[in-house]
Amino acid sequence: MNTRTLIPGIKNASSEPAKGEQRCPGAPSTQDIVASDKVRAPGWVRSESYQFLGDQDISKDRYIDPAFARLEMDTLWKKTWQFACREEHIPEVGDYHVYDIGRFSFIVTRVAPTEIRAYYNACLHRGTKLRASGTEGNTDEFKCSFHGWSWKLDGSHQETVCHWDFPHVDPKDFSLPQARVERLGGFVFINMDLSAPTLAEYLGPEIKAHFDAWKLENRYIYLHVAKRLPCNWKLAIEAFMEAYHVIETHPQVAVSNGDANSQYDVYGEHVNRFISPLGVLSPHLYGKHTEEDILKQFTLGDSGALGGGERSLGKNGSARQVMADMFRGMFEKATNTDLSGVSDSELLDCYSYTVFPNTFLFPGISLPMVYRFRPDPSDHRKCLYEVLFMRPVPVDGSRPMPAEPIRLRDDQSFCEAAGMDAGFGAILDQDTDNLVLQQEGLEASAKPGITLGNYQEIRVRHFELAIEKYVKPKA
Amino acid sequence: MNPHKLAFTRVLPASELPPNAKKPLSIEGKAILLCNVNGQLHAISNVCSHNDKPLERGRLGNGWIACPTHGARFDLATGNALCLPATKPIATYEVRVVEDWIEVLV
Ligand code: FES
Ligand code: FES
Ligand SMILES: [Fe+2]
Repeated sequence: MNTRTLIPGIKNASSEPAKGEQRCPGAPSTQDIVASDKVRAPGWVRSESYQFLGDQDISKDRYIDPAFARLEMDTLWKKTWQFACREEHIPEVGDYHVYDIGRFSFIVTRVAPTEIRAYYNACLHRGTKLRASGTEGNTDEFKCSFHGWSWKLDGSHQETVCHWDFPHVDPKDFSLPQARVERLGGFVFINMDLSAPTLAEYLGPEIKAHFDAWKLENRYIYLHVAKRLPCNWKLAIEAFMEAYHVIETHPQVAVSNGDANSQYDVYGEHVNRFISPLGVLSPHLYGKHTEEDILKQFTLGDSGALGGGERSLGKNGSARQVMADMFRGMFEKATNTDLSGVSDSELLDCYSYTVFPNTFLFPGISLPMVYRFRPDPSDHRKCLYEVLFMRPVPVDGSRPMPAEPIRLRDDQSFCEAAGMDAGFGAILDQDTDNLVLQQEGLEASAKPGITLGNYQEIRVRHFELAIEKYVKPKA
Repeated sequence: MNPHKLAFTRVLPASELPPNAKKPLSIEGKAILLCNVNGQLHAISNVCSHNDKPLERGRLGNGWIACPTHGARFDLATGNALCLPATKPIATYEVRVVEDWIEVLV
């Protein structure tokens, strides 16, 4: 069963594998699984980039200390590239979208067909927000609702009401301050740090190439759900960085998920990923299920696009191949898109990428999500989680308006959001229930830190190393 | 709805309000804004409840309109204010299409 090639020379002289070199025994690797697909996966799938980054415990104060959360606000949130909105949120000149992070707020607005700016969302008179948080609209000037000072779309000061009383206000000095803006794959990123690296440098050339291959600019948001989670934002993020928890937390998924043989990769300082193969049995369950079971259990993020398709294995079929073939046809039909060039792996597998600090991109087709996590500025034990499901835009070129966010109450199940796949909603509920216990447990614990697996939890360590880099820079 | 006042006013050929178009009208002295969001018609007051500015140049979203002046957003179906600086709703009116004409109940 184990077809993973051992590359000579990377083992210790002592035949003990080096730290981080061990993989799930007796299971094919993700690369093995992908290599036997009928429609071949692209290069960005067929590559590995794991790196051992140490095995020390991670101190827990970062999750439970409100002072750490305050420090984060003044350090990492001010210096990192953050996904503020999608371009389709502001398609026309004058369209704006308000993005908040902690106490900061930005009006992200299209000032010309190909230019987007992000203004600090505060009047330069006495500070009133120029637009309420969490809103969108279109305007040709930003007029303050308090005394009526206004700014043009390009940020220049337009009017000081009763200018005679403000001889000390030179309009030239009263342009709206800006954050930096960059666009990639239909995403609008902003960064408050005027001397930060470019987004391309921040991501690194390899990940930039992955982005370019995904063409996520050709997707649109068909469902957007937001919910407050009962934990520190970093715990929420880390809960989605590994498939290690699948067998215990989501046993219903394990039947059709290669959890223990998922692949983990790190790229530079800000991006990591896993590839979690679907349509294959969990190594934890070898010998306990048939291919028929795998086919039946397959969970999708976008089952709405599929309708209630019959799933049958046929002669000598593998569940994985049957699902891939079936999805391709049904997705094309249901969403009016052309997927003929899309590989089996892209149709089926869960690709989870994190762009530090708070965005997950899932560039696959059956699990086509974006996650965004933001700290609750008034409570370090809470965060706002958003899941956006994206579909390829229809072949007729029409671009549906992005879905309005559905804001769930804290006590609601994800399944209650209209349009949410029931199986997927149940998974998110299972994750949320763990998180409240984890937050409380860390506070209750006698142990000063958390302990991580070398391979399956490498993304957590990679993420926490970036946290340390920004929050506690070495002098 | 008052059953004694069932007088729909015929206001516009349906073809003159394509998807994502707006049309300001005065019906019985009331400033009304007709909106077509992805084929769904709405008739709302054209007067923002925040500062009485017209809504007609506001952006139409999925089920909402945003006042261009200070950015208050209103639910097109209920008229409810969705964000500051508005807190009060705007009026909404029943709208229907009969024989390819848009009719509004004012
Ligand atoms: S605070 Fe904005 S005009 Fe006075
Ligand atoms: S007049 Fe509409 S928001 Fe002020
Ligand atoms: Fe999970």
